[in-house]
Amino acid sequence: MTLFLQIMLLVTSVLLVLLVLLHRAKGGGLSSLFGGGMQSSLAGSSVAEKNLDRMTFFVIALWVISIIGSGLLVSLSS
Amino acid sequence: MLGAFRSALTTPDLRRKILFTLGMVVLYRLGATIPSPGVSYPNVQKCFEQMQGGSQSVFSLLNLFSGGALLQLSVLSLGIMPYITASIIIQLLQVVIPRFEQLKKEGQSGQATLTQYTRYLTIALAVLQATGIVALAVRGQLFQGCTMEVIPDSSILNLVTIVVVMTAGASLLMWMGELITERGIGNGMSLLIFTSIAARIPSQGGNILNTKGGLVFTVVCVFGLAIIASVVFIEQAQRRIPVQYAKRMIGRRMYGGTSTYLPLKVNQAGVIPVIFGSSLLYLPQLLGQLAGNQNTWWARFIQTYIVSPSSWVHILLYMAMIIFFAYFYVSITFNPEERADEMKKFGGFIPGIRPGRPTAEYLSFVLSRITLPGALYLGIIAVLPNFFLGLTGGQGGGQQFPFGGTAVLIMVNVGLDTVKQVESQLTQRNYEGFLR
Repeated sequence: MTLFLQIMLLVTSVLLVLLVLLHRAKGGGLSSLFGGGMQSSLAGSSVAEKNLDRMTFFVIALWVISIIGSGLLVSLSS
Repeated sequence: MLGAFRSALTTPDLRRKILFTLGMVVLYRLGATIPSPGVSYPNVQKCFEQMQGGSQSVFSLLNLFSGGALLQLSVLSLGIMPYITASIIIQLLQVVIPRFEQLKKEGQSGQATLTQYTRYLTIALAVLQATGIVALAVRGQLFQGCTMEVIPDSSILNLVTIVVVMTAGASLLMWMGELITERGIGNGMSLLIFTSIAARIPSQGGNILNTKGGLVFTVVCVFGLAIIASVVFIEQAQRRIPVQYAKRMIGRRMYGGTSTYLPLKVNQAGVIPVIFGSSLLYLPQLLGQLAGNQNTWWARFIQTYIVSPSSWVHILLYMAMIIFFAYFYVSITFNPEERADEMKKFGGFIPGIRPGRPTAEYLSFVLSRITLPGALYLGIIAVLPNFFLGLTGGQGGGQQFPFGGTAVLIMVNVGLDTVKQVESQLTQRNYEGFLR
């Protein structure tokens, strides 16, 4: 069970990183980080972006569930 | 004051944005308390309590930016420190690598490419930092003097899992920040920093109250408020250079003919010099820690002069770095020649000064003079808490002291920026209401 959860965690983590990187870059880096210029994002999100969002949410849910699951396993076994 | 709040909450669009932002912040704080898989939570807590009264940690800055999540070894323990570091590196590389400079000049699309590079670099840095932290935790150096095993099962697979999960947490946080920027109010990344710093205030304040008593606590609070007021005062200060625009006809329309001003902020660079300086100062400590051996002469040198926030070498070095980076960052972001060219193109001039090269020279003269008080102010505010280490019990180094220094600068800056954005949204709504 622990091994399964660990493999699950590895897979979902890698997927999560990849999915986040696939998203369109938002924000202008450091210059807008701390009191930079006002930027307005007028462009709406496309269908592809929406699907990507949905997939990301799904993967995040799996990720959180497996983290909590492994935490429960540790606390139950000890 | 309260009316503004009410109108902000009654505007449906704005209300949705504010609620979204709050929800994200809540999720972030929740995630910061979930321990990583394979980390023994009770042991971490015991070690953490031992640390509270103990000596300062190497990771005070990192811990500050992650809102205390780092020392809990939580899922989101890296915080957005990797993103900040990556942005700093990309920003610095714009001066060095010609391709980056080209991209920056390209405008929106080039900026998007640069941001994409920043995100790739963030992941790489997150892997590095997670590995470093996990290695320290396994060797028992993260909590010095604590004999509990923080990670009971130190098999390779387990360690790799922790590193990968922490990296995923960092990337998740990056995405959350971007979502806040896109759908919420304010800049997501800086709001997340704001949250993690603000989250530490109650515990730190309680700490002072418990260990030092009510009088010191009151003094510290009053002092903190005074610092906040002065920070707001200087943040808002700007010099207005008058600019006169010539009238011109394009087709049948008349353009220009107005006199406006070019605002130059006293503290043009914001908090970035402070972040650069403190990030650079903590590098030798981190290297010393990773090298492990504490008895070589340079390790001792670093310990006594650079790590200790109350040593005068540390204070002077920090101050010098902040002043240097203030000038450096202003010179990166504000190009007087470009500005003068722009003004010339649209028929503007500063009264009494010829357009073109003299204007550029005048602008750079004013800018370099006005940056000096700005840089000095940044340095003084950042160094100030180091003198009061005795008051706060000297724990965690100067950076962690939430009522002065880096923390206050960041909080005030982010707060001001967010409020301004809400306000601009409100005026936008009001105008629409008028027109309809």
